[in-house]
Amino acid sequence: MNRSLVILLGALALGAAIFTGSYFVAQRASVMCCAKPADDLSWLRTEFHLGDAEMARIRELHEGYLPKCAEICAKIAAKKTELESVLGSGTNLTAEAQIKLNELAALRAQCQTQMLQHFATVSLAMPPEQGRRYLAEMQQLTLGTNELMEQSMSGDSGHEHHH
Amino acid sequence: MKKENFNPADEKLGSLLREARTFPALPPRFQQNVWRRIENADATVKSSGSGTWLEAVVTLILRPRFAYATVAVLMLAGISFGTYSGAQTARHDAEVRYIASVAPSSLR
Repeated sequence: MNRSLVILLGALALGAAIFTGSYFVAQRASVMCCAKPADDLSWLRTEFHLGDAEMARIRELHEGYLPKCAEICAKIAAKKTELESVLGSGTNLTAEAQIKLNELAALRAQCQTQMLQHFATVSLAMPPEQGRRYLAEMQQLTLGTNELMEQSMSGDSGHEHHH
Repeated sequence: MKKENFNPADEKLGSLLREARTFPALPPRFQQNVWRRIENADATVKSSGSGTWLEAVVTLILRPRFAYATVAVLMLAGISFGTYSGAQTARHDAEVRYIASVAPSSLR
């Protein structure tokens, strides 16, 4: 009885080890095989089934967009630094801090507008159905961040904003 | 050399052989003892019924064909699930990389 139980438990452990080992080896191999670290656009090709010509056009658009994105990112970062220095250690929100906040919000809105424009242009370089799917996903990404923040402020924390 | 001839139908030889064969006497209560041993063996099997399923499973596990087949199935299942999971992870990583390249972290 005891011997049988030991054999059964040993067989179960061995089976679990074989399954787990195979799972992790295959998973690692699959990740290493599918990952292309040098290419930021590899996801677009696989997800939206794009051909070489479409990818070449999208790459061109992407490379044109990156410097503009970097420029506005630098502006946002600089404005955040300014805002932090104005806020300092004071307890009151000064008029200058409010101005900086508005400027920061305007820069973020400009950044979002620029992103949406880029996504719309990229979607036109794709087959129509894929383009619509891409644009919907990217719009969700661009606008979803603010929605998430608003939801967390109004719902989870118990604060309700009545306008 | 002269070869001897045996005739299986030789009656004289047959009767001599029958007389020469000895039949030992059975021990007393032989038949009763046989039945008792059969009953005892039956009772032992019934009393250890809970252990028989485990022994049956172990017997099955230790069969080489079953063991090889189980190992093959487990490896195949592990490789299939692992490949699927790895592809999903790689796809997610690629998506995150693309999003990081187009959406500034200050907005995300």
